Parts: sequence; C-alpha cells; structure tokens
Amino acid sequence: MTYAEKVSKILAKKGYVGVRAEDFGGAVRLSGETDSWEAALEAGRLAVNKKRSRGVVNDIVPRDFIPEPARMPGITDKSLDGFETDVLVIGGGIVGAAIARELTRYAVKVAVVEKEYDVATAQSARNDGMIHAGIDLKPDCKKVKYNVRGNKMYDALSQELDVPIERPGQLVLYTARWQKYLFPFIRLRGARNGIPVYPVSPEGVKEYVREPGLNYGGFMCPSAGVVSPYLMTIALMENAAHNGAKIFVDTAVTGMELKEGKIVSVDTNRGTIYPKVVINAAGVFSDKIAEMAGDRHFTIHPRRGVEAVLDKKAYPKAKCVVGKFVISGSSGSGHTKGGGVIVTIDRNLLLGPSARECAERENEATTREELDEVFEKQSRLAPEVKRSDIITYFAGTRAATYEEDFVVEKSEVTSNFIQAAGIQSPGVTAAPAIAEDAARWAVREVLGELRKNPSFDPYRKGIPVVREMDKEARAKLIAENPDFGEIVCRCEEISKGEIIAALRTPLKVDSVDAVKRRVRAGMGRCQGGFCQPSVVKIISEELGIPPEKVGKKGAGSEVAPYPKKGGGV
Amino acid sequence: MNYGVIVIGGGPAGLKAACSAAEKGLKVLIIEREARLGGILKQCVHDGFGVIRFGEKLTGPEYAYRDVSEVKRLGIEYLTGTFVTDIYAKEGGYVVETTSAKGLRSDFSEKIVLATGCRERTPRQVNIHGTRPAGVLTAGACQNFVNLKGLLPGKRVVILGSGDIGLIMARRLTLEGAKVIGVYEAKPSPSGLQRNIRQCLDDFGIPLHLQTTVTDVYGQKRVEAVRVSRVDEAMNPVGEGEIVECDLLVVSVGLIPENELAEKLGLTLDPATKGIAVDQYMMSAEKEGVYAVGNALHVHDLVDYVSEGAALAGEDAARDRKRNPVKVDVSGPAYVVPQYIDVSAIGEKTVFYLRSPREMARAKLMLYADGELVAEKRFRNVKPPEMIRASFKFTAEDSVTLRLEEDV
Repeated sequence: MTYAEKVSKILAKKGYVGVRAEDFGGAVRLSGETDSWEAALEAGRLAVNKKRSRGVVNDIVPRDFIPEPARMPGITDKSLDGFETDVLVIGGGIVGAAIARELTRYAVKVAVVEKEYDVATAQSARNDGMIHAGIDLKPDCKKVKYNVRGNKMYDALSQELDVPIERPGQLVLYTARWQKYLFPFIRLRGARNGIPVYPVSPEGVKEYVREPGLNYGGFMCPSAGVVSPYLMTIALMENAAHNGAKIFVDTAVTGMELKEGKIVSVDTNRGTIYPKVVINAAGVFSDKIAEMAGDRHFTIHPRRGVEAVLDKKAYPKAKCVVGKFVISGSSGSGHTKGGGVIVTIDRNLLLGPSARECAERENEATTREELDEVFEKQSRLAPEVKRSDIITYFAGTRAATYEEDFVVEKSEVTSNFIQAAGIQSPGVTAAPAIAEDAARWAVREVLGELRKNPSFDPYRKGIPVVREMDKEARAKLIAENPDFGEIVCRCEEISKGEIIAALRTPLKVDSVDAVKRRVRAGMGRCQGGFCQPSVVKIISEELGIPPEKVGKKGAGSEVAPYPKKGGGV
Repeated sequence: MNYGVIVIGGGPAGLKAACSAAEKGLKVLIIEREARLGGILKQCVHDGFGVIRFGEKLTGPEYAYRDVSEVKRLGIEYLTGTFVTDIYAKEGGYVVETTSAKGLRSDFSEKIVLATGCRERTPRQVNIHGTRPAGVLTAGACQNFVNLKGLLPGKRVVILGSGDIGLIMARRLTLEGAKVIGVYEAKPSPSGLQRNIRQCLDDFGIPLHLQTTVTDVYGQKRVEAVRVSRVDEAMNPVGEGEIVECDLLVVSVGLIPENELAEKLGLTLDPATKGIAVDQYMMSAEKEGVYAVGNALHVHDLVDYVSEGAALAGEDAARDRKRNPVKVDVSGPAYVVPQYIDVSAIGEKTVFYLRSPREMARAKLMLYADGELVAEKRFRNVKPPEMIRASFKFTAEDSVTLRLEEDV
C-alpha cells in the first residue's frame, strides 16, 4: 500500500468522507472539503509521517472559511522590471536577512524582496527574542541541529554587528517533586545535542526568581540568551546592504516563470526580476512561494502567539528566562515550548507566548482571551508579576508546517531553488546557521565554487544609545552633535540624535514604527503618547516630507493625515 | 551650580512653586524637558482656566503666560529642552543630573520640587485588543497633533472615556470638521466635569454612551472600525457588541502621575493617588526637602488648585521647620491630600483636597483634632470626578481625622 493510500484509509476511518489523499511528488496531498477549518487542520495532522513522506500538502477547502488574500504593497510600478541578480532572497525577516548577509561574503550579486514597508515586521518582530538553548527540542530534527549551531554563532554576530546580546540562562522549573529524578536523562539529552545543563535546588531557584510560584527545583541551561530579534534582523540587513546587497521593501512576489525545472524569472508588483538562484525565506507565505517555484511539499498552518510586555519596573522580579518543565511527547497538543517569564535585552519582562492555531496567516490581532490565558499561565511562575505591570501586548503568527520542523534544503525538483521555509521558533536562534547552509548552496549553484568576496566587511556600527553611555562618552557625543542631548522619548530616554540616526541608516525608512524598532522611541510605559507627535515632526523635517504624509507603518497609515488651515506652531 | 530649590517641571505647578520660592528669596532653577515653559497648558487652547485664581476665563496658553511672565519678571533661572537623567540625595541636599543639546549638567540644591505632571493611560492598559493600525491615539497626543502640529488625525471619530480631555477633544475635533460619532464610557457615570459634558457634548449633539466600552480595533494600516460593547458592573464586556466604523479612536481613560524620579529617590507612592505622600506644605513625609505638586502629586481637575498647592510648596521651601508629621486618619474619601499634617507647623489655614468614592446629593466632611470634632463642612452634589477642596482653621497635637459621610 502506498503512503497516500494509507492516509486515505486513516482519514476515512476518522470520518473525513470528503477528503482525498494522493501522492504529490513524494509528499502527500489532501484535497476535498471539510465542514470546518479545524477539521481541515486535524486532517493535515493525521497525514504526517516524516519517514514515509516528504510532507503534507493540505489543499482541503473548509466550507466555513474564506482565506484572506495576503496584504500587498500599495505601490505598483516597473522600477524593478528587468532587474538581474545572482541570488534573490524572498523575505526580509531574520532568516532572509541572515542569508542575505551570508551571501555577501561571496562573489555574488544579492537582492532581497520584502512585501512589507520595512524588514522585520512579522514573526521576526513578533517573538520573545530568545536565543534558545534547545534542550526542549527533539534530537534528530533540523530545528535542533540549526538551533545548537546558531546559538554558538550569536556571540560573534553580536560583536560584529554591534547588537547587544546577553546570556542570562533559562531556568526550567519542575512542576512536581519527582521530576528531579529525570535530571540524568535531561543531562544526557543535553550532552547528545551539545547543550550544557545543570540542576538547580529549590533554594537556588530563589536566586533567579524573587518569589517563585512553583518550587520543586529545576535545571538551568546557561547557554540560553536574549537579543532584540528585530534589531538583529535590521543589523544583518544593514550589513548585507553595506556589502552590496540590494534590499527592496514594498516588493511582493506574485509569480514565477519556470523552464525545464528552473526558475527563469520572478514577477513582483514592481516588475519582473531575473535571478540565477531563488531562496525562499518567506515565513508564513513560504509554502505559497514553494508552490510558485514548483516544489511544494509542505503547508503552513499559522499558529498565533500572544505576548505581554511588562514595565521595566517589574524587571527585578526575574533574573533569567523562567519556564516550566514540559515532558515532551506526553501530549501531542501543545506546540509551544511552554514559554514563561522572559527577560529581554531591553530590561523588560515578557510573559508568553501562547499558541493558538489560526486560520489567517497575517492575523496579528490580539484577543482578550489569549492575553488572559497568557497572564494566568505565566504569572504563576512569578506571582509577584501583576496585571498592572503590563504596558502592552502583541501577537505574531508562526510559520508552522504539519511536520513541525524546518524545511531547509536545496530543492530536488527545481534546480535553482533553495528553501529556508517553515521557520518558526527557534528561528531567531537558528537563522545564522540556516544562512550558512543556504548561502553555500546558492553560491555553488551560481559560481560552481565558493569564491569569496574580497571586500566583505563583517562590521556594522549601531546607533549610539545615549542612556547606556558613560557620562564622558555621552558628553563628547553631545558636543559633536547636540541632537544627542535632546530627549524626545522620555520613558526610554531616546534622543533626537538617535531618531535622526535611524533615518540615515542604509535601509531607508520613513515610518514611526520603523524608527521605534530601531531606537525604541515609543516602546516605554506611555507607548508613544508623548513622543509620537515629535517623532512625526522629526521624520518630516529630516526627510523633507510633509508631516501629514508621515506614516505609522508605511503608505496608507498616516498618523495625522489632514493638514489644518494655518498649520502648527 | 548650587540652588536653594530645583523645580523639575515647567508646567503650571512648577512655575507657581518656583515663583513662590523666589519671592521668599530662594535661588531657584526650573528644569523643563520640552522646548518651552507652560507644560500641557500649551496645547489646551480651550478656555475655562483661571476662574478661581484670576476671576476670569482664560485659555491654557493665557494661563501659562501669566506664570511664565512672572518667572521672567522675578529673573528665575530656567532650562528648557533639558531632561533629568538622574537624581540622588547628597550631603544635605540633592544632585540633579540633566542632558540637553548644550551637554550634560549636574546641579545641587537643598530642596527639590517634583512637578513632573502625569501621563495618559494607554489603550492597552484598558484591555483594548485587535490590530495596531494608525488612528489610535490618546486624547493628549491627539490634542498635540491638532493644536500644536496643525494636523487632524481623523475625520470619523470614536472617543473612549468621558474624562475631561476626551470631552474637550470631542468638541475640538467637531470644530475642526470631524464627525464625532460618540463618546463611550465604561463607568455608569461620566468621568469629566459636568460643565464639560454640557459644553462639549450636549451643545454639539454628541451622544454619550455610558456602561459601554471599546473592546477591539479593526484595520491593517489605518483604523477601519472598532467594536463597542456594553459592560457589566465588573466592567467586563457582555454580549457581541456592535461594530462602529471610524478612522480615529481617541482614548481618554485616565491619567497617571509621573513619579519615576520620586521612585529614584526611594519614595513610596500612595496607591490611591499614585503620587508621594505629603504634609500640608506638599513636602514628602518620608524625605525632608522633597516636595511634589500638581498632577505629579495627584490628578487635579482644575489648574487653579494646582497653582494653589504649588504656592504652598514654594513658600515652604524657603523656610526651615522642625517636622512632626502625623498621618491623617481618613474614613470616607477615596483619597485625601495631604496624607500627613505636620502638627508642629499648622498655619492660618490648612487645605485638604479630596475625592468622594461615589456620588452623594449631600455630604458632610468632619475634621477631628486629637479626637475632638473641630470643624464640619457640608457639600452638595458630590461626585468622584469633581475634587473637593476644604480649608480649615484648626490646631492639633497628635492626631487628625477626616471623615466624609452622606448627609441625610
């Protein structure tokens, strides 16, 4: 019996009468109809078998759900028509950014297309910024392989790109006394994956959590770290641009032309691009890109996570990332690593994330229920955390495949196509390692060898952060440029100089949120109530655009779009 | 430089405190983080300020101008565009470190007046969910755009919260040609002054929906609609609610005193006022020489009382007194400022500012000194949004009690 026949039988037995399964180039494709979107999802899960199939392609049409089209850029022009490049990276998240930078180490021409108004707007901005140790990942999957390699690359990346990281460690708390007897197995698993881990007594727990809500001891993974995931993405992309990569935002891929198993051209809203190799780093849309490239063997079923950001005043309540021990394999339902109380590089705490299957790929709306769930669950780890500590919350959608593993490969079907697809957590950690492999495959395809770019410069200088400078350096900077003395965002102590610097970086940006991700203006407890009008004014003055045209997040999102007669003061 | 007093904040509270201290001969420095003195009054172009203090209706900028003129007349030193980065106690005084376009600076003074104002509660602090598009603003930010930047943020407006700024903005946006669809308030009664309900909503036919809140925001780039729902007594939304199309949501859901500097000095905050606890001269009960005035101390609804309290602090900063602060025993009010009475320095009159926890047609405020009833005041139509000011002439030695009761 073929695998597709077996899946058909399983589905029939489970009552999926309207669903068919067929072989699809080594993957199994489901089609037909179900009453509900949940049923289609469940059918997809039933079809998973990593040994017998390349993946699940789920084309079931749920009768209760009409998919939303992807958010598209407002612009349509021909500015990129006829553009030629050696390698085209699709997606400006952390994976695309890491790949782009890695490619510039070699003697190839690199371009990146991103459909949003800036890089790092989706998953890469909407996660907790953990550099995972990887202790909770199953051995022998791509996730753990790239996670462990990527984790080790972060110190060098931080130093080269001037993006701070810290390794406060991750404390995993037992939920019952007997679990401490599992520690030898945890240590063994760590050793097999190259992850250091040591036990922590209930007394020891108190050194990390001022008032633990759960205390049967636990274990510590000291290699776990934190980074600003959007700042790292921006830095990678800036360094790629510095080394010659072309970064095109507001550029969405709409189709591809293939000839004899090869991509010839890629259509976008800004014209047709002619690349020699295409890399798919398109996040929640990576299966759509794979389909265009003729090698779809997986399906993204988005999974939303909600996280709450706590006031910096709550920071002393936890000294490292704190999570709860989840015995893997004990339940098939949960697909988050459990989350917890997460310290961030910027001295906030985060609570979360939740994990909820979600029909729409770009549904980044939070809900009351999900926030309540996150707070109830995670605040138990550190009961000192209060609801009133929450200053904001956000949601992101993870690019989960049915196999729940990364798709990182050189396509077996389309010869000039490389996939870095289905990247969900621990994508931030894994990105630099994925990038090494993807870039090498691409360069070999273009050049036939790994010829280096002799002028590659791995260094990028970040924007000065005045609040963290010593007095002498700060005074010197202000003397050179008085704008660094003038504070605009009072909650986060961000100067006008930093905001202007953000507008002068290699990736040209012109939006309030783009500035926010670069320098944190508006990320504090007043959430931009005070500084937003000033930030709009600074963007307008610096870029020479009328203030009413300044957007929150690109065209169509103008903060105050109607000029009054007489103007301002 | 050394000063007698450093006033942090150049809004109405800071300006008045500075003038009062300077008049008593103190060397004063005002530190203001914005480019101009005047604080939030700069953007309050409506009138109604100064009725009590000046006996006339002034606009915010006019009110501020009077104090700014006085600062200049008295030759008080002030720094604008200057932000306090650190504050700490040192040998009989305080060091204040600042940054500005001119560089870093460190000043010393014996006394400190915290006049840092307040910030607005954000949409997320009242549990609004959905997307995060353009077109969601706090009322103060909206007011800044309209009145200072000359920009209208939207034309079809939903306002959440019936606080004074929300009401003022309903009228302001209407006058600028926007359509204000309605003002929604989760509480069963309005949060703003009665006069503002009348002048800003009723006069313009803007509906006020009580016990109704905004729960969700829709729209990707710009707000397209919000969901409004009725709430139960616990303020939780009930039912599905309804969708209201709009391109701007203005949120006016309360103010929070800004006391990050007070916390840096190690002062604890009164959970009811979110400001520090002070005696009748607005001096911290915990730390000698630190004063808090204006909305940093507690959120006022009239600037006239901000100035009154600030004057007490400024004058007091110029004298030395041996303190004996006694905690005021309070029963009835939602809060009382001052929280302490320095019984060794009770003056001609002592002013209490308080809020009632609920509406009362008639209320009675009773003051006990050392266990004995010394004064009684009666009030009509007491409401939580309208601060009660009560001035007493009394003395006490070891205890002060204030009781607010329904008067039947």
